[in-house]
Amino acid sequence: MSIRALIVDDSSVMRKIVERCLRQAGMDLGQVHEASNGAEALALINENPFDLILSDINMPVMDGLEFIRHLKEMENGKNIPIVMITTEGGEKSVLEALALGAKGYIRKPFTPDQVKDHVIPVLGSQS
Amino acid sequence: MSARTQSPAGNNSTPSESWPLVLRDSVKEVFSMMVGSEVMVPDQGDPAVVTEVTGMVGLAGELCGVLSLRCSKGCASKIASRMLGVSIAEAASHMSDAIGEICNMVAGNFKAKLDGMQDKCMLSVPTIIMGGDYQLFSVAVGDRIELPFLFDGEAVWIGLEVRS
Repeated sequence: MSIRALIVDDSSVMRKIVERCLRQAGMDLGQVHEASNGAEALALINENPFDLILSDINMPVMDGLEFIRHLKEMENGKNIPIVMITTEGGEKSVLEALALGAKGYIRKPFTPDQVKDHVIPVLGSQS
Repeated sequence: MSARTQSPAGNNSTPSESWPLVLRDSVKEVFSMMVGSEVMVPDQGDPAVVTEVTGMVGLAGELCGVLSLRCSKGCASKIASRMLGVSIAEAASHMSDAIGEICNMVAGNFKAKLDGMQDKCMLSVPTIIMGGDYQLFSVAVGDRIELPFLFDGEAVWIGLEVRS
């Protein structure tokens, strides 16, 4: 079955790159939804089922850490695996994201193989 | 008037002799991994750039300053085109976003390569200036690195002004 993915990043270019990497990695993606911040993402999750979320940390309006906090309180969101994609890659924010429930993180810049290596195990762990 | 970055100190020394090499590697990695194209270090002389697009990302914390990228509009569109995998015409409206992301990733990659700096330095949201008729003055009185690159034969300049 196709994977229903949500990509959250304030950069439209980065959202497209992440989607392309997932497709290049051979993942069977269905329609990919995009959000430019955590608040937009939460609204989409309220209306659509997702199998995977990839999210930036540093975003305006609602950052990635706040997004996870809200996500984990949502009945239809708390079990969706989330992988963080970040430029910062600092220990503090990454550790905080993992402590909040993120399944992994990818540091920018990245290759399609790196995206695949981080995402496939996360999806596998859900089955 | 051509766009230039100017430090009040006019100091060309760097905090560490290795920083230009670290910055060069950071730039090359970002272009190779995220643009899908290699940037070349010019063999001879400094290539002239028609500055029409400038991207900037601020650094704050233990490392304070500004990382900048300057290039022509055509070059910025070409970078966006390669990043998105679409035609140059289609990519033109994404050039600001693309250049901002490049700056963001170069700055992030650079500080990630400096021991112990990852958590002690934060990055700002990128800023983009369209046009070249300006002068940029940094209040970060300190050190300045400017590196030229060639992307598809066109000049791209990366600057880093820091007060450490």
